[in-house]
Amino acid sequence: MSYLLWAVAIFAAFFFQERVTLLGVIPNLTLLPVYYAGIRYGESRGLLAGVLTGYLQDSMSHTLLGPNILSKAMTGFFSALFVSGRYFRWTVLLGICAVSAMTFAESMLVFFLRTIFDKMPMQFSEALFISVMQALINGAGGVLLRPENAD
Amino acid sequence: MSGKKALLIIVVVASLILMTYQSKKGHFFSTGTGFSAILDTVHRAATILSGSLSRPYRMLVLREEENTALKKRLSELAMERDGYLDAVNENKRLRELLKFRENSRNFVAAARVIARGAGHWEHTLKLDKGRDDGIEKDMTVVTPRGLAGKIISASGSFSTMLWISDIKFSAAVRIKDSRKEGVLSGSGSRVCTLKYVPYEEEIKTGDVVVTSGLDSLFPAGIQVGYVSRVDNKGLGGNFQLIEVTPYQDPYKMEEVIIVR
Repeated sequence: MSYLLWAVAIFAAFFFQERVTLLGVIPNLTLLPVYYAGIRYGESRGLLAGVLTGYLQDSMSHTLLGPNILSKAMTGFFSALFVSGRYFRWTVLLGICAVSAMTFAESMLVFFLRTIFDKMPMQFSEALFISVMQALINGAGGVLLRPENAD
Repeated sequence: MSGKKALLIIVVVASLILMTYQSKKGHFFSTGTGFSAILDTVHRAATILSGSLSRPYRMLVLREEENTALKKRLSELAMERDGYLDAVNENKRLRELLKFRENSRNFVAAARVIARGAGHWEHTLKLDKGRDDGIEKDMTVVTPRGLAGKIISASGSFSTMLWISDIKFSAAVRIKDSRKEGVLSGSGSRVCTLKYVPYEEEIKTGDVVVTSGLDSLFPAGIQVGYVSRVDNKGLGGNFQLIEVTPYQDPYKMEEVIIVR
């Protein structure tokens, strides 16, 4: 049942990501289930959720297979490391900052990987704007997505 | 080293090897078509559902706002007029498409845009027609305004098109009046770049750009856009730096035509 819910959550993230735009920017909603898997179930499951979601996103983008696998796997792994309570005690502010920082880092990592291994998908200034916007949008998710041991 | 860190290192190394391999040998064939097909089906259902729900919802909202029967009647009339204008606009668009279709010898299918692509860095749109309607990879996508892009993948009932503004898009073009040739490439933003035009050629702002057909991919004579900026002061290296603004705004595409 829990796997079914995860499948629905990831599917919903893809669905809304393809339908919603803000100031012409497509939000990075597929990062949220990966981040949540990391803070809720630890590094390994976060990483595996990242690999799966990244693989789906890469294969649907009809371009280079790998950037989203790597970036989302790292998101799932490091979200568990920094937000689960081992180093920092979870607060709403930490949640918002963590999601925003992870989103920004993930988007820029994909941009750089595509630039290195394929072609620069757009101007750096535009990529920066998109990444910042995605980080701001996803920041709201930091309030709702909290680890199990959160107060 | 813990098992978790080892797992992370394996994933990182495997991803880097995967990307390095593809950068040398070319991209793998897309394998997410099953998931994509399900997602596209849900998109189509959502588009139909939202279309059928929005009209009664608008009526409900208006009714709540009106307190008197007269105002209610007026609002209904206003809504009917809006619906009529919507229908008139749609009719106009469809007439243009129909006219274009009749004039186009290479017509394959007319399709509706149902969603954007999942990637943040690609400029792609999903269409509600696919291989079942004769659509194949590399076919040309046009609108009555001009060239819109090309098909990059097609499944049974859906297909994905690449906008002309995407960094991976390029087409052989020429200036309509002077017949000077060049290559149009996407820049990742709304404008495109006209490449490989030497400094001797005189290009003016406002010049119309059409496909030349020399790439054997796009039919000749399709309007693409107009020259919006020319920089011949040496910033473009050995060639002029020319910006072309496409006639078709990708954010306003609703219906498209696929030609071969």
